[in-house]
Amino acid sequence: MTDEAKPLSAAPVSRPRIVVSRIAQYVLLQIIIAALCILALRHPLPEPPARYLLTVFTLHDRGATREVMLPAFVPSRSGMDDPAMFTGSFGWTHSDAGGAWSVYLPRFTNGVEVIVNGTSILDSRRDPSANRPDRDTPEIAVIPASLLHDGANELAIRLYVWGPISGFLDRPFVGPDDVLRPYFEQRTLWFVTLPTVFSAWQGILAVILVVLWAVRRHEIAYGMLAGAMALGAMQTFLVTVVDQPRHPELNATLIASAPLESGFVLAFAILFFTRRWPRHAALVFVPGVLVMLAGLLGTPQLLRTVFMVLGIPAIGINLLLLAAVVAWSELRRQDVPSLLLGCAVTIVITCLAHDLLEVAQILPDRRIFFSRLSYSVLLIAIGAGLTWRFAGALNRVDGFAAHLVIQLREAEEKLRAAFAREQEQARAAELARERTRLMRDLHDGLGGQLVSIVALSERGEDTGGIGDAARAALKDLRLVIDSMDDIGGDLMLALGSWRDRVAAQLRPHGIALNWQITPPGLPVHPELRPSHVIQIVRLLDEAVTNAVKHAGARTITVRIATLNDATGPYGSITVRDDGKGFAPAAEGSGNDRAAGRGLRNMQTRAARCGATCEVVSSATGTRVRLTLPHRFPDGDIR
Amino acid sequence: MTSPAEDIQAKDISILLVEDDPPTNWRLKDALEKAGFDVVAAMTLAEARASLESRRPRVLLTDLQLPDGHGIELIRETRARLPDTEIMVISILGDEESVISAITVGATGYILKDAFPTDIAATVRELVAGHSPISASIARFIVRRTQSAAEPPPGPQLNTAKLTPREIDILWGIAKGFSYAEIASHLGMSRQTVPGHIKSIYRKLEVHTRGEAVFEALQQGLIKL
Repeated sequence: MTDEAKPLSAAPVSRPRIVVSRIAQYVLLQIIIAALCILALRHPLPEPPARYLLTVFTLHDRGATREVMLPAFVPSRSGMDDPAMFTGSFGWTHSDAGGAWSVYLPRFTNGVEVIVNGTSILDSRRDPSANRPDRDTPEIAVIPASLLHDGANELAIRLYVWGPISGFLDRPFVGPDDVLRPYFEQRTLWFVTLPTVFSAWQGILAVILVVLWAVRRHEIAYGMLAGAMALGAMQTFLVTVVDQPRHPELNATLIASAPLESGFVLAFAILFFTRRWPRHAALVFVPGVLVMLAGLLGTPQLLRTVFMVLGIPAIGINLLLLAAVVAWSELRRQDVPSLLLGCAVTIVITCLAHDLLEVAQILPDRRIFFSRLSYSVLLIAIGAGLTWRFAGALNRVDGFAAHLVIQLREAEEKLRAAFAREQEQARAAELARERTRLMRDLHDGLGGQLVSIVALSERGEDTGGIGDAARAALKDLRLVIDSMDDIGGDLMLALGSWRDRVAAQLRPHGIALNWQITPPGLPVHPELRPSHVIQIVRLLDEAVTNAVKHAGARTITVRIATLNDATGPYGSITVRDDGKGFAPAAEGSGNDRAAGRGLRNMQTRAARCGATCEVVSSATGTRVRLTLPHRFPDGDIR
Repeated sequence: MTSPAEDIQAKDISILLVEDDPPTNWRLKDALEKAGFDVVAAMTLAEARASLESRRPRVLLTDLQLPDGHGIELIRETRARLPDTEIMVISILGDEESVISAITVGATGYILKDAFPTDIAATVRELVAGHSPISASIARFIVRRTQSAAEPPPGPQLNTAKLTPREIDILWGIAKGFSYAEIASHLGMSRQTVPGHIKSIYRKLEVHTRGEAVFEALQQGLIKL
């Protein structure tokens, strides 16, 4: 989640004007929302028919008795032992006995006991949710038919008040249960069930946020919000049976944790929207912590006082700060989460102001508190905002992934194209090299022999010479073609063909070919190239031709073997004849000169293959020993 | 390869020589007639066919490139009609392209166009005695076909599935330049039997009919139905 503030583009409109216009728009929107909110708050809640309404009561409070018109307030006090007593009457006849009758109390603070004709039929203090003055819990109780009698029946209501706010009793309704109950159910839905549902949702949200925070420890904002949600959920689900809690201090403290909760929400908003933590921001927790300390260490009365004096203002201030943070964020980045939260905060502030004015009895008071309910709107906004930002982050991840995939594909295509090009070039180069080699081989052998044929035929006499030259040309052509074949690095396969050719060459001369292979012959050289083969075979050809033409040999012995030295095995090929030999010096006879030239040729060819060629000639014969390398040299050979 | 089959009289061996190049034709005819063979020479495919109508030569010696057709056709026809006739192909280079394709349609021998007259006669005599000639490069071509698996190498198609491991060993020996004697001793057989194996190898490489060719291809998994 790292979206930057939308850059303010270099539009023709100047930046301050944009900011002013944005502020105006935002404020106007919030005013509209607040106005709508107030309209909704002032809208009267549905009530049962007025004929079941009881308004005139006699109030006994602190020893005094007076007539009151409900709704009425009684001053705040401590303890349960001194309830205010409202006494009134309602008419009932047997003709009304079609169904059960009920007493319906739309609103009261803090607890009521309903007594019909001297018998108690309802005590709201046993209903935990009814004991929370911030929940507008209604009560309904069916009057047992046996209690009712024709004419005036007495209805007495004891109002228990335990602060911090004054006691309040709205007008009760007494009438047929089937008429009153739908109104009761509707209020219960609005003011009891709905907040419970939202609190359940807070609990779930708390778990999700804790997990989120645990996985992404640097996102402290989620930890803050998780704290707020956990507190909110606990407030709802902790049972508040008056006088019976197992750990009364802890219980009361948690119920009074709203200031701390608001601090957490504010801290979350600061971290979430501004992405930094101002130096003194921890101060937002101070009122909440103080309230909780008062709850843990002090008396319930102290807690109520501190809550009223410190807690409620802290909630208000936190809300105002929250509104400021969110408005700033909305102005800066104009995103949906900020806007949603901004509107929600406005609604909560409006409701809180409304409630405070009601408590202060400045507004015509029905004692319906909307703050807690409006908090649900804030929850919805937070949930929606979080989801929005989450989805946005997912979209960015998707976009990033898609972008990566595209880039990867492009890179792959480029690479493939480059590779294909390179391969093409390599193939072209290989073809060119092969063509060059072939040309050279044909030039060296076939070309020279054909030229020699031409020369001989023009001289018109030595027909034997023409035949020899032509045969040599054919032999060389066969060698070139043969050398093109893939022999898999086994020089023996090339020598096998060479043997056939040499045998055919020697047969008309009556020279015996003594071919000796010491198994397994020669080592296999995977690096052997056709050019090496040609050089070696030409070298051997040269040796044989020398023996045939110049030495007058009767037998030519070819010995093929694998020898070993420190570096490993290497091949050795020896061609020996039993002729008269030659003098390797330049000043010999013509034959010797030709032999000398052949000798140099052989040595050049051997060098090209990394081999060595040793020629020993004496009157009893010539021996050419070719020692192959351990490894044939790479690359082209010239 | 050079042991002469003395027991067969040269004049009893009738030869049909098919070669379109007149000097080569004369040269080969001379060489064979001097060796005592009964030679009829033809210059074209049509002449060769006409000659085969009237006589049944012991040996057919044919070039591949003929002015009115290909020697392969003549070899195939002769092989079908006259199964006892030995067929040799005349090759300029003795390369596998020409020799192997002739073998697959029924030839069991070859001679080089520039071979010496004595060698030509000896080769024919050997063939009649049941000893097919083979060069190291032909042997090399065949054994390398027995190895290669994935992609068929260039050159004529060759079905080596019927060759026995021993025959393949013989071919390896020849390809590497070992003599028949060395091969025979290495494989524990008589030197005299080696040339006979060559002819058997050639016969196994022959694809007799179109149907069999398809069958062979199926056997080798070359064709998938």
